[in-house]
Amino acid sequence: MAEFKLNEAKLDELVNALKSEGYRVVAPVEEEGVFVFKEVVDPGEMRLDVLRTARSIKEWFFPRVEPTLRYKFDRGSVTCKGEMPQSPPKTVIIGCRPCDSASLPILDKLFDWDFRDEYWFKRREATTVVAVACDAPDSYCFCTSVGGSPDGTAGSDLLMRKTVGGCYLFESFTKKGWSIIETAKGTLEPAGQNEKVLVGEVPKRFDLNSVKPWLDNNFDHDYWKEISYKCLSCGACAFVCPTCHCFDIQDEADLQGGVRLKGWDSCCLPIFTRHGSGYNPRDTRDARYRQRVMHKFTYYVDKFGLTACVGCGRCCVSCPIDMNICTVVAGAAELAETST
Amino acid sequence: MAENEWKPKIIAFVCNWCTYAGADLAGTSRLKYDVNVRVIKLPCTGRIDPLFIIKAFEQGADGVLVSGCHPGDCHYTSGNYHARRRWIVFSELLRFFGIPEDRVQFAWVSAAEGAKWATLVNEVVAKVRQLGPFTAYRELETTEVLS
Amino acid sequence: MIEELRHKARELLEKGQVELVIGYGAGSDPTRTMPVFIRRPEDCDHLVWNKYCYNNLTSYLTWPELKTAGKRAVVCKGCDAKAIVVLCKENRIEREEVVVIGMSCEGVGEPLFGKCEFCDVRTPKTCDIQIGATLPPLSKDNLFEDVRQLEAGNAAERWEFWRRQFSRCIKCYACRQACPLCYCTQCIVERNQPQWIATSSHPKGNFAWNVVRALHLAGRCIGCGECERVCPSNIPLMLANKKLAQVVKEQFGYESGYDIDEPLPMASFMPDDSDELFK
Repeated sequence: MAEFKLNEAKLDELVNALKSEGYRVVAPVEEEGVFVFKEVVDPGEMRLDVLRTARSIKEWFFPRVEPTLRYKFDRGSVTCKGEMPQSPPKTVIIGCRPCDSASLPILDKLFDWDFRDEYWFKRREATTVVAVACDAPDSYCFCTSVGGSPDGTAGSDLLMRKTVGGCYLFESFTKKGWSIIETAKGTLEPAGQNEKVLVGEVPKRFDLNSVKPWLDNNFDHDYWKEISYKCLSCGACAFVCPTCHCFDIQDEADLQGGVRLKGWDSCCLPIFTRHGSGYNPRDTRDARYRQRVMHKFTYYVDKFGLTACVGCGRCCVSCPIDMNICTVVAGAAELAETST
Repeated sequence: MAENEWKPKIIAFVCNWCTYAGADLAGTSRLKYDVNVRVIKLPCTGRIDPLFIIKAFEQGADGVLVSGCHPGDCHYTSGNYHARRRWIVFSELLRFFGIPEDRVQFAWVSAAEGAKWATLVNEVVAKVRQLGPFTAYRELETTEVLS
Repeated sequence: MIEELRHKARELLEKGQVELVIGYGAGSDPTRTMPVFIRRPEDCDHLVWNKYCYNNLTSYLTWPELKTAGKRAVVCKGCDAKAIVVLCKENRIEREEVVVIGMSCEGVGEPLFGKCEFCDVRTPKTCDIQIGATLPPLSKDNLFEDVRQLEAGNAAERWEFWRRQFSRCIKCYACRQACPLCYCTQCIVERNQPQWIATSSHPKGNFAWNVVRALHLAGRCIGCGECERVCPSNIPLMLANKKLAQVVKEQFGYESGYDIDEPLPMASFMPDDSDELFK
């Protein structure tokens, strides 16, 4: 039950209140015709009406490129300096969608699997996530098919839900969420008992329960070839995806020393699995695309109990050739139905 | 000269048969010229990949000089002809991206033109000195994309 | 036009003249299309043709997985078909292996793409089967206007412009993969002995990547604009490609994608090329 609400006319005041309290405020902002999550300088830049930003919030926890180690060579010896995120500033991300915030608990599992990735967790600890529920999803959304919903709360500290009266209900679930409410007290009003909330609907497009067994038993099915002919093998889908997390380690050095970088990589890129010998087990597009779908919808489920897809639709929107993972998985579900 | 005064760093990519020999001649003739040029010898200007110039800037060069045999005199017959086309295009691209023209300069210096080499280097270094250190390029250095 | 396209494609497959037709099919929503690969004549009914047929399907001609598909037909707009010329000149395909189904096109995009305002190949110059009435070319007089505008500023402004643009590059390589002429089995950015171009998405690596890609397309880029369309960060990549196309035209009198017999400008030279640049 939401106790507070914010009139949308006071969004600027909210941002200012948060900034005065020392938060770095990150929200959807327009950058050269594309909406991305950026630090808000002028409160007017913040755009809570954007359904889907080009990229997800993962880059605020898992940057596109990040130094992990710096080293110097000196007369045959090497001195290393470990690079940790230097006390990441207190941050609040406002305006992500429930699908975006749902990606965080999914990735928490991976980054705490065989090694606790402090690069990820330090940022997680320093960041509060304020999601905005969706009142107008589009045809690319499929959160409800992967266990989410337009007003889901997984991964967020506070959920803002738009009302018919032009306000946002503030529902908090965590201590961090309550701190936001505390900070924003001056801008908030008490919420009524019967606030009419604008609710979006996302029809369910496939049943995960029928998909997974089909995926587990049809590794060699021709379906993979049929759907992947058009794939261009770029990294766009993986990079815009909230749950994709593969990374590459690159050393950039000269004769004096260098830096070891951790940066985004994509299993769809042609040389992702190329061995030092030159052999590449995933030499073809069908092998790579199959891997992408399997990893998200069955391997990750087996390892961590969660589907590594939140149904945001970004990959479908950004794909140069309109590869739609929802359609692909729904197709697999259909094959599952007809084969039983 | 104060110890921490900036000294321009110019990398010269030169061909072995003409310009390098010309530079040698400048040396044997005891011609004095600006010392802020580091020479990298290649068989031919046709071997010089534009990426070498990019790498030079990445590694801290303030300016680059490319020099080889005069057209028609290439030791490999046509290497410098191909290079000429390549540099015409590449220099326009760099200029379009906002890199000042005087930071990348091109010349033909033959094996007999020791004096020309000396004058050329002095000219190139003077121009780069005027422009100052190419900190703008080094500021593209590895940084955390998001803090 | 759609019926004629489907009919001709069906005919090609039925007569065994081709084994594969690469065309456009319906997309995820009414404003999108997707590439379709048709082997059976009856599937030709899936072919569509509209202002959302963006992709340059010739980029599939160099995929190793499709090279064994036998003779192929590919549906091309005028801009796309120019790539066929370059691919033949560079010996990546034999002209005879491909049947070009050229579509007369009044422009794609909603709103109309910039490239379409200056199109002189509204009916493809390179084609084996023409679909649709011949359309007169538009004037290319102002094709380089956006390049000129950027050059009207000073070097510092241009540097800042490109620095800002390239800092947004995420190194997804969608530009490279969508380009019909980026077909290297090992791209320069994948060479790591030495690592010429940093693969990481930092401004230094992004700058080197975009400079080199523009350069490797000098005298080759056919201006289909796919690189810019597919960029998830909306980087105006075509500005750089157009700049070099302008240089190649002014200096060497060459325009890419028209004449299959003309020597490639960067693989050839003239003894009287300009020496203006050289001291």
